[in-house]
Amino acid sequence: MKFLPRVLLSLLLLASASAQAATIEMQVNGLVCAFCAQGIEKQLRKFPATADVIVSLEHKLVAVALKDGQDIPDTELRRALTNAGYTVKAVQRTETPLAELRQRLKQGKS
Amino acid sequence: MFRWSIGLAGALALAGPMSVMAKPIAFADGYTVMAEYGAGTMKEAQLFYAPRYDFSVGGGHVELDSDQTAKSRRINYARLNYLVHRWNLDDAQANLFAWGGLGSATGNTFSGTLLAENAGAQADYETRRVYASFKTDLQRSSAFSHRIDTLQLGLAPYKHEYGGVATWLLVQGRQYTGGIHRGTESAVLVRLFKGGAWIEAGVTNGGKLQAMAMFNF
Repeated sequence: MKFLPRVLLSLLLLASASAQAATIEMQVNGLVCAFCAQGIEKQLRKFPATADVIVSLEHKLVAVALKDGQDIPDTELRRALTNAGYTVKAVQRTETPLAELRQRLKQGKS
Repeated sequence: MFRWSIGLAGALALAGPMSVMAKPIAFADGYTVMAEYGAGTMKEAQLFYAPRYDFSVGGGHVELDSDQTAKSRRINYARLNYLVHRWNLDDAQANLFAWGGLGSATGNTFSGTLLAENAGAQADYETRRVYASFKTDLQRSSAFSHRIDTLQLGLAPYKHEYGGVATWLLVQGRQYTGGIHRGTESAVLVRLFKGGAWIEAGVTNGGKLQAMAMFNF
């Protein structure tokens, strides 16, 4: 009988973890125009693990939302942005949903 | 006008970093289509594909018509553009491009079709508010040599964001060699771009239309 609650708890935890898709935020130098952003977005959307992309010129920020249970290694992200012609200063993984990040950026918060 | 441009350049240099004109390479795995109408003396159309961020290949067609004589040239060319260096700064980007190509030329001061050579370079510096670029472009053959030097200086009234409309106000100075136009042709321009579409239009000191459209995809 103890087995069933454990299975249910495990399933709940699994569902919760997969529902919270990870976001990768990158600080990028050289982001000054829409064409820069367009090129970067095009490169990042080629990754099968990419669910969505945000580029903020104001915050020099590029954010990638990952599909559930998928990931893109930092080295591949850095290579993609370098191959797009830009310099990555920092890569940070967060649990912030992209919609929330988009809202924060609209309000002028980084 | 040239003095005005130099004055504005000085003011922009004091104000902070500056920036660009249309780049011959937009982004990796991207196409660039461009058409320019240069006050009746120069008309040009180009198509480039960039397999990488630092080079693109393609071709173009340029028509040069002298406003001093009846001299005219029609040149088709294939060209390779190369990004010699890019500086990615905290709030700015600077680029140095070079290009070269070969093509064919016809004209009304020589007979037949001649081999034409094309070479040029562009340096630009751009922030989200200030922009400067200098471009030199040479078209030559055994019968002619035409170089077009273009300086553009621009200010954005506001910082645009990706997805929004960017607006730039520019002054342009242009010099032609080879008897196409005497002196410096100056122009004031308004540039708008959103996403991959870019249009600019203005008027020269001779009261003629100067316009360009470019699409990146």
